[in-house]
Amino acid sequence: MTAVIEARNLSRWYGNVLGISEITLDIEPGITALLGPNGAGKSTFMKIMTGQLKANIGQVRIFGQPVWNNRHIFRRIGFCPESDAFYEELNGLEFLTGLLSLYGYDREECLTRANRALELVELRDVRERPIRSYSRGMRQRIKIAQTIAHDPEVLILDEPLSGLDPLGKRRIIRLIKEFRDAGKTVVVSSHVLPEVEALTSEIVLIHNGKILARGDIHFIRELLDSHPHMIRIKSPQYRELARLMAAEDYVLNITFEPEAQAVVFETHHRDRFFNRLNELVLDPGLDLEEITSPDDNLQAVFDYLVER
Amino acid sequence: MREEIGRVFSLYFFLGKKSGRARTFFLLSSAAVLMALIIRTYRLAGHWTEDGQVVFQNFLMVFFLQFLIVLLGLFYGSSIVVEELDNRTLPYLTSRPVRRAAIILGKYLAYLSLATVMLVFAVLVSYLILNLDSEFRWKDLLTVLRYSVILWLGLAAYLSFFSFLGTWLKKPILVGLAFGFGWESVIQYFPGTTQKLSVAHYLKSLLPQYASSSGKLGFLFIRLEPTSPSVAVIVLAAIILVFLALACLIFTYKEYLFED
Repeated sequence: MTAVIEARNLSRWYGNVLGISEITLDIEPGITALLGPNGAGKSTFMKIMTGQLKANIGQVRIFGQPVWNNRHIFRRIGFCPESDAFYEELNGLEFLTGLLSLYGYDREECLTRANRALELVELRDVRERPIRSYSRGMRQRIKIAQTIAHDPEVLILDEPLSGLDPLGKRRIIRLIKEFRDAGKTVVVSSHVLPEVEALTSEIVLIHNGKILARGDIHFIRELLDSHPHMIRIKSPQYRELARLMAAEDYVLNITFEPEAQAVVFETHHRDRFFNRLNELVLDPGLDLEEITSPDDNLQAVFDYLVER
Repeated sequence: MREEIGRVFSLYFFLGKKSGRARTFFLLSSAAVLMALIIRTYRLAGHWTEDGQVVFQNFLMVFFLQFLIVLLGLFYGSSIVVEELDNRTLPYLTSRPVRRAAIILGKYLAYLSLATVMLVFAVLVSYLILNLDSEFRWKDLLTVLRYSVILWLGLAAYLSFFSFLGTWLKKPILVGLAFGFGWESVIQYFPGTTQKLSVAHYLKSLLPQYASSSGKLGFLFIRLEPTSPSVAVIVLAAIILVFLALACLIFTYKEYLFED
């Protein structure tokens, strides 16, 4: 398949701070997710892709054309920025028709397209309410509506699921999949693995401005599963729990926190660990007050992958 | 390009009308009407005996020429990019199929139109309040028209200069305040050619009867060594065009980053 987006040796600095470094990537039609912790360089990459920023080195091309200051390409791209920013004094319909008018559509066409986009994101009923009165989920959806209203071939969505409730997330995920089914190229960024898993199997891992790995979800999952996980359990019987778990070969390390009546386990096999934990809750009937994962975030996983 | 400017103009004229800033500036412009009412009341009570035309000219000089057009130009011009950065709405504009220069020109024209409406309203109403009596002739309105055109030229020049600052500087408002109410207020009273380095000098040169201005505020005209009206118009037009071109050039090639 021909690449729609081609990035070649892209590097970008903000003064002394590195944004992205030597990113070379081809993106084809379908959904591609950029996964990485906050500050990894996802947004910088997206801003370069949409002509908001210039690369210090390298170039990005969409449909074979450079993006920076190329207004013709913007007719074919829809960009959903990360920031929760709007012309707050406008209502949803005015916001969309105003932005659509920048494409040169007449009033009638603007209204038709705006209403269609509002319908797709299920905001038609509130289109005449000021945006400042919208909930977080509605604001996220109106942002997506402005991305799709001109029917672009490429959608670049920076953290489109952030701040949404589960129902809102499901709606947006369904919508994004519909764009994929319509043959569009969708690039989505996220720092939450389960969100990305729900969207696509094509993942690009970004960390510290570099592409760490690229592959389908199974490949990424394997990488992540090899990361030793920390699990903290608070229980009045924390010493007994530690004694029973110490016998398991997948438990790598145990640390006690006597003041909090807690114990922290380090394991390579989360699934086996939790299966055993379930058994211990049933027999001998250990009482567990709280289970948390101190490093259960993408940053810890990425740090591990970088050190490996 | 013209069509692209038109698209941006329509959007920002609409946005501008709905903004709280427009209401604030409209109220501020209306302060001139209020002042005119107070002066008229004083005149009716016999406390102010000067001719309405003279009062208006002094009034115009102080409030409109040295305050309102500078303020409107400063706040609309310097916000041309900064408001998009502060509100983080810039990507909505720069990811659309319009030239960056068209964004600046469209916004400039939208803001100039809004400010013109406020200005003309305040000038016309305050003139009528001060001069509408039994001796009023409709052809006196030609004087208002002349004043309005001069003020409009000043507004367009200040707006152009401050738009240039707005595209160039991160915090244009401080530099703008220093220029608008520092440099402009002082330099116009310097003798010789130095005063020609202010926009206000060319505007004053266009005002009728500047030299014979006799009211209580006539001291504002001292030291004016006027430029001929035709040269003054050419210089003002050049200021508008040069600074607009620079603003477009900067916005086309400069990257704008959000604070974080």
